[in-house]
Amino acid sequence: MATTIASIDITSTDLLSDKLSLSAVTTLTNAGSATGVTQTTGLARKKSEATSLYILYDRSALSMPAASAHKVYIKNLSTTAAEFVTITIAGEELGRLYAGDWCFFPWSAHDDANDISITPSVSSALTIEHMLFFES
Amino acid sequence: MATTTATLTLSSDIQSDALLLTKQTSLYKANTTTGLDQTTGFTKTIFSATTNIVLLDSTTLGVGKAAKVYIANRSTDASEFVLITINAQIIGRLYAGDWMFIPWSQSDAAGNIELAPSVATALPVEYMMIHEGATQTSA
Repeated sequence: MATTIASIDITSTDLLSDKLSLSAVTTLTNAGSATGVTQTTGLARKKSEATSLYILYDRSALSMPAASAHKVYIKNLSTTAAEFVTITIAGEELGRLYAGDWCFFPWSAHDDANDISITPSVSSALTIEHMLFFES
Repeated sequence: MATTTATLTLSSDIQSDALLLTKQTSLYKANTTTGLDQTTGFTKTIFSATTNIVLLDSTTLGVGKAAKVYIANRSTDASEFVLITINAQIIGRLYAGDWMFIPWSQSDAAGNIELAPSVATALPVEYMMIHEGATQTSA
């Protein structure tokens, strides 16, 4: 069984008058079990050069169970503060990932329309890094 | 200006080449290198019904901005999850121990982040939003 661990640390000394130091660790397991996820797309990079919609993860092209515990990582590698990618799931806007930002979230992939897509804010070269961990 | 950082570490033996990825980002306001300076605070709620609830209400001042949201399911029962949706679109299930960290641009007034527990027994969830503005509701 594969062991995949994701941890997050959010820290700030001046957001509040009390120091913020939040940590969380999770082991990526199949839905409802303690068995680790066994498949991944691998760490990938995509360079866009248009403000078009790009499908990062095409639900219908992936052989994976629906309503499960898949996890997605995406990072905007741009270094220009104004450049962002808008992340959508089945057309619903999740948020804007600005330069240097990353996100990590569960994806239930509940139907064939449940694609994860990005739309870059610029038509110049913009690179993102992404990875999917999923159940078989 | 507040300085807040979020660091992700991913480690895995899922492939024959071990993965060890560490990424850090500073949380800035949209289009700037000015730090986000407002937060809901770190909240813990114990849910005791399977009702779908609005966890974070989309506000006019947040539309198109760079808010960041952290949510963690603190249950220890592997079968228990919370279903996360935005504007009724299913994002995913956070199982026991799982956490998520996402940007939230609050695309419109209907773009709430909602949560539905899978069980009606006590299920603890922690969450926090760090943002650059929220509309205040009149009394």
